[in-house]
Amino acid sequence: MKKRPFSLSVLLYGGLLFWLVIASLPVVWTAIISFRQYLDAFSSPVKWVAPFTTENYTRLWIEKEFYRNFLNTALVTVFTVTISLTVGCLAAYALSRYRGSLGFWLLMVALMFRAIPHSSLLPSFFTLFDALGIRNTYFTLIFVLVAINQPFTIWMLRSFFINIPNELDEAALVDGCTRFQAFRRVIIPVMWPGVVTTGLFSFLLAYNDFLLSSALTSGDKMTMPAAIANSITAESETLLMQGVAGAVSITIPLIILVVIFQKQIVGGLTQGAVKG
Amino acid sequence: MKTKSFLQFVGPSVAMMLLLLAAPLVLTFYLSVRNCAMEMEMVKIEESTPFGKKETLTQRAKLDASGKAIQICRFVGLEYYRKVLGIDAESAEPAGPPDAGGAVAKGDKAGNEFFGALRFTMLYTFVTLPFVLGIGFLLALAVNGVSQNLKGAFISASLLPFIITPVVAALSIKWLFRDNGLVPYLLSHVGIEVFWMAQAWSARLLIIVYGIWHVVPFAFIVLYAGLQSVPQDALEAATIDGASRWQKLRYVTLPHLMPLIVFITLIHLMDAYRVFEPVMVLTQGAFTTSVQYLTYHILLQESNPYKASAAAVLTLIGIVVLLIPLLVKTYREQKRGV
Repeated sequence: MKKRPFSLSVLLYGGLLFWLVIASLPVVWTAIISFRQYLDAFSSPVKWVAPFTTENYTRLWIEKEFYRNFLNTALVTVFTVTISLTVGCLAAYALSRYRGSLGFWLLMVALMFRAIPHSSLLPSFFTLFDALGIRNTYFTLIFVLVAINQPFTIWMLRSFFINIPNELDEAALVDGCTRFQAFRRVIIPVMWPGVVTTGLFSFLLAYNDFLLSSALTSGDKMTMPAAIANSITAESETLLMQGVAGAVSITIPLIILVVIFQKQIVGGLTQGAVKG
Repeated sequence: MKTKSFLQFVGPSVAMMLLLLAAPLVLTFYLSVRNCAMEMEMVKIEESTPFGKKETLTQRAKLDASGKAIQICRFVGLEYYRKVLGIDAESAEPAGPPDAGGAVAKGDKAGNEFFGALRFTMLYTFVTLPFVLGIGFLLALAVNGVSQNLKGAFISASLLPFIITPVVAALSIKWLFRDNGLVPYLLSHVGIEVFWMAQAWSARLLIIVYGIWHVVPFAFIVLYAGLQSVPQDALEAATIDGASRWQKLRYVTLPHLMPLIVFITLIHLMDAYRVFEPVMVLTQGAFTTSVQYLTYHILLQESNPYKASAAAVLTLIGIVVLLIPLLVKTYREQKRGV
């Protein structure tokens, strides 16, 4: 390839640097001001250096018992991911092996469901769950999130299963395995890369959900994103600063996740695309 | 695979989707044409005062044997649709009760709430789309040109806006742009003084900026992956034929990436139509609403599940219309594949 002219190089690195600043600014600045008093966090002119304090965090985590919200989120996401993957793997495996038109229609319907705005389901959820008395329970939120994630999960897992050669489980069937045994003994051992990637996205969908979590949980059942909703309209200065600390607290696990699983996330994003 | 074992394998997944997606959707249609209200009765209250007996008539909710208020439900047809669409303005209730915090879009008169929301949702979708594709493509080209050891770190950092919790991201942007925040301070140096959350245009602009910022990493990574598979021999042939950098880009690279651009567009249409968190956080529905926010607002603030259902059904009709091209495309592709 020809050597790049110098001016193009400057433009290139300058542009990338600019994007990095834009991409990280909201997160970085929020992290910086989370260690400040309100008056130092929002001041005119803006202070570049200010006294360091962890007061916002101690207030939030200890006085406001944010650890409860953290545990709620942990519980809800762990169960959502586990159930999503278990149910999704079975369905996706079948969809990748079945030749009939039923499978095709199921995928099309799932695609439609993938596009549903979640708030459209809320009036029914409220009516149903109130009638059954199961609104504001972990159980309900977990199953709602699993169902919402199911269309995406089966599409993604199916695209992984299609790449596992048919001969593998056909051979097991010839040797006298039932379908389920073939799935358990032959497919499960080789499916993990796809499951890990899908699991990551399943985790992100459950962890990041705000609309359903905030509408379906309240009080001591609230997940972290639902709990932070208070700070949207926060008038009080301490409440606002607790929101800032909460925002950072929610983001830290996600940053760890990206650092560890960058390859899988990038792989997952391109999985559906490269075929398209 | 036999149909019987296929059904067994997909059973749990289908059951869950039927129960928690399909059934609620059907119920939404049902709810949208109904209305329930507490049955009221007039009661005489006799009070003995020093000046003799006093009788007053008051209204109270009628209770059944177990002490619960009796609900009367009736079929109201398209009444709530008319309200949400603002068709019969006379009977439309005035912009919700005043205690709704005046949070109903102030720019739109009571009644045409849905069109106001739909208009902004469409604006958001179609304004963000070209920026997402354009910036994503430029980033993909740029990263493709930098040295190998920088790529990993850059991609990691770029993922941040995409995977961060949307409500947190919207809050962070709000804090950046609020009075005494960082951005207004920096902008004041170049003579721009705007109270970002106090006017319709700037609040809308912020939501759109959020949308671009949030989705660019996705477009970037998909297109970057696509760039890795551009046929090198075609590029070399073009070089030998004397094509300029621009011509190679235009006639070799772009056509190769076209399927990916279509893919990103379709995913973005679906997701942008659902825009919710930034609207909720940045304006709380003042100045502007989105279709998803509208349903949420009617349900939780106006506490009217029937009207919310009508808004939900209209929202669903909107997404189906928007997705017809996608469905036709996928249908054809899958038909070919199956």
